[in-house]
Amino acid sequence: MNTQLNIKTRRRRFSPIVVTLLVGVAAVLVLGNPSVQAQTTTAAGASTVDSSITIATSGTVSDPNGAITVSGSVIIKCRRVIDTTSTTIPPLVLLDFDLSQVKGTTGSGKTLKTYVTGDNHATALRPFQASDTIVVTIPYFDSTKDILSASAFLVTATVNFDISTGKLTSGSLTYGTNIFSSSGVGTFTPAM
Amino acid sequence: MSDRNFFLSPKASKARLREAENARRNRWDIIKAHSQGQVSRRDLIKMGLFTGAGLMIPISGLSPFARSVFADSNIPTGLPPSPLFGVQAFSTPMPRFDVLPRQPVSVLNPAPTAQANTTQQPVDPALGGGTGPIEGRPPGPIWAHQQFAQLPPVIAIQATMEGAKTNNVYNPGVPSLQNSGINPANPIPFKFHPGLPIQNVLKDWTYNGTIPPKLMMVRYGEPVLFRLRNRLPVNQSQNGGFGIHTISTHEHNGHHGAENDGFTGAFFFPNQFYDYHYPVVLAGRNSINTTATDNRASGPTDAGGLNKIAGDWHETMSTHWFHDHMFSFTAQNVYKGMAGMFNIYSGLDRGAEDINDGVNLRLPSGRASVSGKSWGNLDYDVNLMIAEKAWDANGQLAMDIFEFDGFLGDQMTVNLTFKPFMEVERRKYRFRILNGSVSRFFKIALSDGSPMIQIANDGNLFPHPVVLTQLDEQGIAERYDIVIDFSRYSVGQKVWMVNLAEHQDGKKVDKDLSIAEALSGNSSDPCVGKFLEFRIARNPAQPDISQVPSTMIPNPDLSAIPVARERVFEFNRGAGQTTNDPVTTFFGPWGIKTDNQGGTLAADYGRVSAAPRFGTREIWTLRNGGGGWDHPIHIHFEECQTLARDGSAANVPAWERGRKDVWRLRPGGEVKITLQFRDFGGMFMEHCHNTMHEDNAMLLRWEIDDLGGPFLRPLPTPIPKPQGVTFIPPDDILPTAL
Repeated sequence: MNTQLNIKTRRRRFSPIVVTLLVGVAAVLVLGNPSVQAQTTTAAGASTVDSSITIATSGTVSDPNGAITVSGSVIIKCRRVIDTTSTTIPPLVLLDFDLSQVKGTTGSGKTLKTYVTGDNHATALRPFQASDTIVVTIPYFDSTKDILSASAFLVTATVNFDISTGKLTSGSLTYGTNIFSSSGVGTFTPAM
Repeated sequence: MSDRNFFLSPKASKARLREAENARRNRWDIIKAHSQGQVSRRDLIKMGLFTGAGLMIPISGLSPFARSVFADSNIPTGLPPSPLFGVQAFSTPMPRFDVLPRQPVSVLNPAPTAQANTTQQPVDPALGGGTGPIEGRPPGPIWAHQQFAQLPPVIAIQATMEGAKTNNVYNPGVPSLQNSGINPANPIPFKFHPGLPIQNVLKDWTYNGTIPPKLMMVRYGEPVLFRLRNRLPVNQSQNGGFGIHTISTHEHNGHHGAENDGFTGAFFFPNQFYDYHYPVVLAGRNSINTTATDNRASGPTDAGGLNKIAGDWHETMSTHWFHDHMFSFTAQNVYKGMAGMFNIYSGLDRGAEDINDGVNLRLPSGRASVSGKSWGNLDYDVNLMIAEKAWDANGQLAMDIFEFDGFLGDQMTVNLTFKPFMEVERRKYRFRILNGSVSRFFKIALSDGSPMIQIANDGNLFPHPVVLTQLDEQGIAERYDIVIDFSRYSVGQKVWMVNLAEHQDGKKVDKDLSIAEALSGNSSDPCVGKFLEFRIARNPAQPDISQVPSTMIPNPDLSAIPVARERVFEFNRGAGQTTNDPVTTFFGPWGIKTDNQGGTLAADYGRVSAAPRFGTREIWTLRNGGGGWDHPIHIHFEECQTLARDGSAANVPAWERGRKDVWRLRPGGEVKITLQFRDFGGMFMEHCHNTMHEDNAMLLRWEIDDLGGPFLRPLPTPIPKPQGVTFIPPDDILPTAL
């Protein structure tokens, strides 16, 4: 872990004031009940249960251009896998977060800017448990620019499972400012 | 934090560490005896040390994984951690790869020949005496270099395979400023860090016997003759306890004849050489753009122009690697250091960002106008070979060859240097990342969660770049090319590459961590967290004019090519063996079931499992038969397109929609791919690239044997000996093979 204490915020465009105001303000809204689909299959050495939920989300993240209002449906696909040849291998879940429909906006009228996440998916392999929280960063960029201009925001996803069936039953997402943008950067003294 | 781990924590009790070290030493005697051919696995079964499935029985005092008398519960202990001798992470610069010289073919003595050179030489008594051929390539027309007259080698690249020694001729291909200040004139002793012990000559075997790892730089339209001389000890017992002195180099994943593919059964002996002919051609050269009129199907010329060649420009490849592929010993030999990288330059990806000819994609690399090199500039185009290692109490490379589920090291290296730093400028860099491990998967992010642009997968530039903040898991042998823009940082800042994939054993990733989890220091896996430090050292001397175009290389359109047939390969544990040739067979526990027929079979390179017809296209399903492990499956020879994952095209992520040659099946998962069989023939392989699985014995032979000429259907199997290669008929031909 980085132990450098004199860390500078790496991007000037992240105003510390804006960050301070918006961290913690970033909201999660799970609108209505998530839709759930599930399918079970068994192969020679593995039992798998596929399920998915779609959740409508919204929130706010900070950006040098102002607070970005983020919204859009997120599809979470889940495959619970049990190895049927061993009693010692714990079950696992393979999670896929499809964030490609998430968009953000700042301003209005002529100052309206739209931000997209590209064809973005976040994936994670995790031990199977009743509830899990996964934190990932997600790139986003001005839709009129290319992906080289991308920045990142934080997604904190909580997913809940039916322990008996292995199905993903519900979930929620929180959007926030990328906290690693400063904590993950250190400093050194360059040679002159 | 889990208590089920491959390595003990350095904080474990002294008694427990001592117990594990004693067990490792006791076990080491068996490993050494087995690796030196003094005892077979069959012998070990008779002695009660192995199960019938080939697993070593965890006997206390013999296995570090036996239940510990000092443990709090019935939990396997683990290996003692590798000592660091006071070395700190990120305290030494990362060396760039060592570029192998490109020479005219006329320097080769003897001159290369289409068929193997069978000139006789005395054979060392330790290898049986008598005489044998100077070249270890199987003799005769079947193993002659295909299309040798049409594609004669223009460039010679030579290397030796030998034990660890000091490098006095390091050529990083870049100025010292672009190599974190390393002065290439200084000798480089074989150490994983300047503060760690020098490696014993028998412990590490690498190309030319030195570090950094080697880089071959080739370009389309310029055939290469790679001559590899085997200078390993003639005495098999002189192996430092693991590894074998017979070798075969696979150029992963070259499109050329099987005689150059490093077939697992085409190995050769000390004091022999093997000539690999790499024609460096585009796939489809005999059927697409045969008159070489398309500018995009081209290699870069020295004058800054294009050398147009036949073939499909959509099949252009960029980032390969080369490594040993010795039957049943790939893991040991590659772990000892038999691995390098192989950059292919093309009109599209020429490695000169300032040449604007309408074809060049101008990816980050360097300026021809500065270097004078119209292709292959490495200033901002960096090869990274990531591989974790382990060493013993004396700091010598250590391996446990009986961990058939997979072997893990506990110390991360990049370019064979323990947790180095790299100085970068405030601009875009391209990184060609190779997972060069035995069994470990990685999942890479930057420590600040910043975006990276992935541009290629397994050496194939995408149709469109993909922006990510964490890469997908990267299996063994997969190559991910990414672009990082360091202009977002200030001079004096540093940021790290972080591994998020936590293992507990070599079967699979146990858990993908968040950046915060990976950086917390709480993971029980010592290879989680930071492993490479980028120091933003200065502003670039010239503005960054490199590009990452929104369109790069669209996939070849295969829709008009009929599918000749489909095959299914299931990768399982619990394999059986139906043949018993002492050279060509090995036994499990791993194996492959083909076309849902019969049982799961352990490897026999004398068995033909599939023989697609020349000139056709097929669809292959690769299925993981278990839920407790993952397999990165590699198919040699032709790049493939991924049609579906787990039954759906929608499950194929953006970064797998280009071409590939290695697929992580994922636990309980399945991949459907399509591939063609064209241009060349011979016997190729398909196997798990968790090389412990591959060696024990998840590998099969497939072949293209109906293209006429000298080929026979089926092909005879080579049996290499120091006195010469003989041939036998296939041991077995599966019913659905032909």
